[in-house]
Amino acid sequence: MRETSNIESPVNAASLGVRRSAFGVWRFLWRTLDFIVAGIFVYAGALKVLDPVQFAHDIKNFQILPWPISVALAFYQPWLEIFCGVGLVFRFFYRGALCILSALIVVFTLAIIAAKVRGLDITCGCFGHASQHWSFPAHLATNVAILALLALLFKAGEQRRRTD
Amino acid sequence: MKLSLTRQALVLAALSLFPAMGEAIYFRGKISWRSPIPPSEMVSVDQARALGGNVIWVDARPDEEFARDHVPGALSLNEDRWNELLPQFLAAWSPGKKVVVYCSAESCDLAREAAERLRKEAQVPDVFVLEGGWEAWLKKNR
Amino acid sequence: MKTQILAFILSIAVCFGARAELKFDKTEIELHPKPDDKQAVGHFTYQNTGKTPVKFKSVKASCGCTAAQTQKDEVPAGEKGEVTATFNIGDRTGTQVKTVTVETDDPANPHTVLTLRTIIPQLLEVSPTFVFWKQGEKADPKAITVKVGKEFTVKHIKVTSSAPDYQTKVEETGKGEFKIDVQPKDTNTANGTTLTIQSEDSPKVFYATARVTGAPPAPMVPAPAGQPAPVPPADQKAPVAKTAPTGQTH
Repeated sequence: MRETSNIESPVNAASLGVRRSAFGVWRFLWRTLDFIVAGIFVYAGALKVLDPVQFAHDIKNFQILPWPISVALAFYQPWLEIFCGVGLVFRFFYRGALCILSALIVVFTLAIIAAKVRGLDITCGCFGHASQHWSFPAHLATNVAILALLALLFKAGEQRRRTD
Repeated sequence: MKLSLTRQALVLAALSLFPAMGEAIYFRGKISWRSPIPPSEMVSVDQARALGGNVIWVDARPDEEFARDHVPGALSLNEDRWNELLPQFLAAWSPGKKVVVYCSAESCDLAREAAERLRKEAQVPDVFVLEGGWEAWLKKNR
Repeated sequence: MKTQILAFILSIAVCFGARAELKFDKTEIELHPKPDDKQAVGHFTYQNTGKTPVKFKSVKASCGCTAAQTQKDEVPAGEKGEVTATFNIGDRTGTQVKTVTVETDDPANPHTVLTLRTIIPQLLEVSPTFVFWKQGEKADPKAITVKVGKEFTVKHIKVTSSAPDYQTKVEETGKGEFKIDVQPKDTNTANGTTLTIQSEDSPKVFYATARVTGAPPAPMVPAPAGQPAPVPPADQKAPVAKTAPTGQTH
């Protein structure tokens, strides 16, 4: 009769333990990234929720959208950022939140580039009026960095889904 | 039940609508959906009249339109000759006076632009734009 | 019978084929005039890609500051042309967006809106352009900041006052900024001056106004509803300096 030992061999237990702690470290790192990215968007959204009038004017200054759409977006977008940020923290609709935030960042970046190419002197409005003195390279670098973080989180999320 | 990515995004987008609508209702007095001019910076013809004699009327239309007809006592201040006309306006202004700027109609941008320049560049307080412009004035006065 | 049906179908096909179609190469043009330019001109080129001529019904600009004209009233099939929009810069600043609406008898595109975006370079930005003292107020100096536009380099500015009752002092505060301190001799009488600000290299002139304002008007009883409000005082003209202007260079 074949017997199956219900006690793991010492060598397997050690390697399993190392793998588990490595996995735990990675998980901790990913969760930290989740919180950082979520924090950025919740903070940015909160600043704009407090002053939607100024945000509407900041959107209007890009001279892309008509005024009524700028106003609608000024009210809606900050809450979208906040909900998506909270989604990242509490892991509800995680992938959907990542997707929306990535789309937002891509749109912001394109708008900033378009404004720069057109020679418009604008305040990004990304962080409410807190970012009004940022230069174009600073805006661009921040957006690219956030997009990179979102891409990392998306990839990590996909890998976790496959292993789960 | 796990939702697909699209459905997750749609649910988040839908959830965000509710607080957004609430905020839009809360801020309805501070922002106009029709025009970038805040409600606090626009006056109707009746409101402008109620300001009494403390008002300086400013006509932001081009010279020819001003010469044809204008609000009695109004000063011409258009962007074609801003530097030439501004000193005349500033000579008439004193602290405590209200300024009402108008152009041809609601759709005309000249009054809003002139009012913004007076507020930002000259830092003149109490500058308002006449709702409906010269057309609205004519309806009430002729 | 068959010949008649064929002829009918062919005539309809010919009608569909024989369309007018006016196509603009660009419907939005961005202009970057120089600081001394008085006008900015945009050329909107088009071509009639259809098979019948196109007639212009009207070409209207959104404001009196922009003149728009076509080279011809009718564009034959296959021909090219342009709508020229001339924007009078005047004393405008910043980004100016003006539109020209073109109406034609082209059923595919009866209305076309052409947008002229003019970025007016600001050599100097004066802020504020108006400083004042109330009559009787202490005649302390008030500051006017002059910022040089990002794309320009200005080392010196010259400030001239139209009235000798006002003293000006100019200092460079660094990072392309200057500070002008204006001070009246006294604030006993209402008077004013126009400060002319000019950079060393450019003939373009910028202005600021300093005034001692008259006493605030006494509060007036608002007009009863339905009656016209009292008329404001008659137009006043800015005081003209009788003596030679005093100038200061920095």
